[in-house]
Amino acid sequence: MATDIQISIIGSAGDGTIAAGDILRNAFAGMGYKVISFDVYPPEIRGFGKCIARMRITTEQAYSLKHKSDVMVSLDDSHAIPHAGELRDCGAMIYEQGSIVRLPEGGHMSAHVGPGQLPYPLPIRELSEKSTGANRSRNIVVLGFIAGLFNLPAEGFRKAIGKKFRSKAAAAEASEAAFKAGLDYAAKTFKLDDVVFGPPVSSVVAGSTVEMINGNAAIVRGALDAGIDTFFGYPITPATSIMERLASEMPKRGGRLLQTEDEISAISAVVGAGFTGARAATSTSGPGLSLMAEMLGMGVIGEVPSVVFVSQRGGPSTGMPTKTEQSDLHMAVYGGHGDAPRIVIAPTNVDGCYRCGGKAFEMAEAYQTPVIVLIDLYLSNRYETVVFPARPPFEADMNRKPGKQAAAAPYKRYALTADHVSPRSVPGEKGGMHVVTGLEHNELGRPNDSAELHTAMSRKRHEKLKAALRHPDFTHFKRFGDEGPVDVGLVAWGSTFGECLEAMLKARGEGIRCAAMKVVMLSPFPTHGVSAFLADCKEVLVPELNYEGQFANLLQANVARQVTRLARVPGEPMKVEEILEEIRRLAGRGKSAQKAA
Amino acid sequence: MGDIKPVYLEEKLKEIEESGRLDYRSKTLPTWCPGCGYFSIVEAVAASLCELNVPNENAVVVSGIGCSSRFPFFVNTYGMHTLHGRALPVATGVKTANDALTVVVVGGDGDGFAIGGGHVPHAARRNVDITYLLFDNGIYGLTKGQTSPTSAIGFRTPTSPYENPDRPLNPLLMVLSYGASWVGQAYAGRPDHLHKMITQAMAHRGFSYLHILSPCVTFDKTHRTYSNLGMQVRDLPADHEPTDRAAAMREAMDDALPALGLYFREERPTLGDALDGLVEKAGGELPGKPAAKPARKAARR
Repeated sequence: MATDIQISIIGSAGDGTIAAGDILRNAFAGMGYKVISFDVYPPEIRGFGKCIARMRITTEQAYSLKHKSDVMVSLDDSHAIPHAGELRDCGAMIYEQGSIVRLPEGGHMSAHVGPGQLPYPLPIRELSEKSTGANRSRNIVVLGFIAGLFNLPAEGFRKAIGKKFRSKAAAAEASEAAFKAGLDYAAKTFKLDDVVFGPPVSSVVAGSTVEMINGNAAIVRGALDAGIDTFFGYPITPATSIMERLASEMPKRGGRLLQTEDEISAISAVVGAGFTGARAATSTSGPGLSLMAEMLGMGVIGEVPSVVFVSQRGGPSTGMPTKTEQSDLHMAVYGGHGDAPRIVIAPTNVDGCYRCGGKAFEMAEAYQTPVIVLIDLYLSNRYETVVFPARPPFEADMNRKPGKQAAAAPYKRYALTADHVSPRSVPGEKGGMHVVTGLEHNELGRPNDSAELHTAMSRKRHEKLKAALRHPDFTHFKRFGDEGPVDVGLVAWGSTFGECLEAMLKARGEGIRCAAMKVVMLSPFPTHGVSAFLADCKEVLVPELNYEGQFANLLQANVARQVTRLARVPGEPMKVEEILEEIRRLAGRGKSAQKAA
Repeated sequence: MGDIKPVYLEEKLKEIEESGRLDYRSKTLPTWCPGCGYFSIVEAVAASLCELNVPNENAVVVSGIGCSSRFPFFVNTYGMHTLHGRALPVATGVKTANDALTVVVVGGDGDGFAIGGGHVPHAARRNVDITYLLFDNGIYGLTKGQTSPTSAIGFRTPTSPYENPDRPLNPLLMVLSYGASWVGQAYAGRPDHLHKMITQAMAHRGFSYLHILSPCVTFDKTHRTYSNLGMQVRDLPADHEPTDRAAAMREAMDDALPALGLYFREERPTLGDALDGLVEKAGGELPGKPAAKPARKAARR
């Protein structure tokens, strides 16, 4: 029996909402389910902001979260009540049965559980206090209750709790007591079978491993597997955990990481390290990428390999640091002054983060240019169970070395070649001495601003990137859904593609001929592949999380085609229902189409 | 004036060729104005690299933007001519990625203490093992003579046509307080002393900062001229103790009569040492020790 259950835990900052979610998704992943999970939390560390931990547990591959949850837990009714409608009919609502303060009318969850939803009022606080002497373990009590209510193996939960409190013996002990209290209470509770977990299905190929990690951790793993040597960074939400994880992992492998004084120094040091032949990277978000724009241009004209991991958040300026958005596409692709072409790749899921995180180093070396890996907060913090291959799928060295050519004086660092990539020497190599300059230069690298040279060098810098469109073992774009002509074709990028895929599959279920294409390589743009797909589509829909329709702009700059834009800035992932409704409208079906008729 | 010896061109050329320091000069002619103090700096740097026997391919000269920053083109080493103000972080990247390289950063007062001022404290406190040669002419020469952060109050330039209202920075004092492990001052008008100071700075293991006073003969006819500087500069007192940071700072505060010489020097772990320490703490293995450091070790002995 296929399992597809979504659990939401809603609480206030300090309730342990996110921690409980973390334990829960680890428990499910450990049992062998596929998990996709995304949390929402406020920008303040303390205070009373709303926190939501949300996860979907499945046996078949899922691509996004569902609009409605099957199980909802309220650790704070004032935050959870507005979300009560997101629990499906016959879904389970778990909440605190009493209250120690006098609530205003309608302040308690009991007044908001809808008809058809199953109420599970528990003495959460009482169970926590009686089992641990404090009310801090309410979140763990709930986990015990969930394990008992749905007949899940308690051992899986205990393992996940143990992992969470590995280094805190007292907390581990209290958690065990609280977990048991919740579990025992569930034994006394009447059970309905409207939410049922079937057995997990394992699909692991021998040698590979399954891990549940988020996008930032997957990027780190990709970078490590590709042999990153040096990293320079500056903390910024939501990219910080990339740097934090590398800071603990890189020294174990002899690597070097430095927290610089700002993002300008971070990218400058990356370019300096790249000049020496090291695999170097930095990570940042939109504000940092703005600061890096000038030095990225230097990387372009100096043809120095460098890798920048960018996780977007709501902008402009400081914007919405803990909300997701896809509004830095223009800057990633076009940012900075002058004609400064660079490679931009945008994975669409956590597995893609791993692949792009490693492939970026290959591409930076092979085409001697800055490479931006563009994700967003949603993908940074989205957990998925990912199958990792036994051997890292990355090349260790893709440099084109000058070899004997360097000895033939004078060495031409920027030699104009048939494929526009020049052999590159690095410091320490005899005879390969040259100066990398931000000035326009001749083949030797000496300043020269003649019309002929500027034209030839501009052409070189643009044309060499075209080979990246055929970079080996990399998915530049991919079509899903119906083959041949379709009524509606979706084209999407980045994190939003998961919701597009779900919506497309649902539309097909409703009998609409529908397909979806993900575009991973944004610069240079895979014009041929995308236009071949668009030729199959009667209507084209481009859903994305920004106000201007930045990807639609990029698409239309490369392919002359009318498209329907679904550009939204809610600060959270797009709703599958919203995309589906638009597909129905374009296909001439559904409510809105009837209304229009 | 009786001790001036006549110089015969052929003999001098022979002497220079035999010294070997021409190997460290490129065939590209400097873009500086005739009489510019920077000519003596590039000569001194070539002589110091030669004296320390640094293999050309193991040296990297990094600069930002400005008259002085054209420097990497005039020496026969690897080089990076980067962005305005960004030479120090780029050099930090170079050195972090490859400890075996001898990294020299060159740049002007605007590059280092206006646009790039935020990077100096961090290169200094980290003790990045690089040599920072700051060419201070108190003016923006490349853009034709505007006010710089070390221009005197009252200085008149195209961007301060009435007078410069800002008091100048004291880079030496700043760098001393930032925790630089080697700080000295030289004057382009005293090439022999300059050469000695550059050699010492390069031989020092850690962040060495050499402040070099140099006139802009084209755009400054009133303040920092050879004749004015020649009268102002003095030597550090013979009893100055270069291990005393406070004493060094007291000397640096007297910027009306700049003292030349070694202000401060201390031995402490470099950024590279610290990062190696992290690898050990993490239980990692250091990548194969590069074999290209004999030149600098020899110089320290």
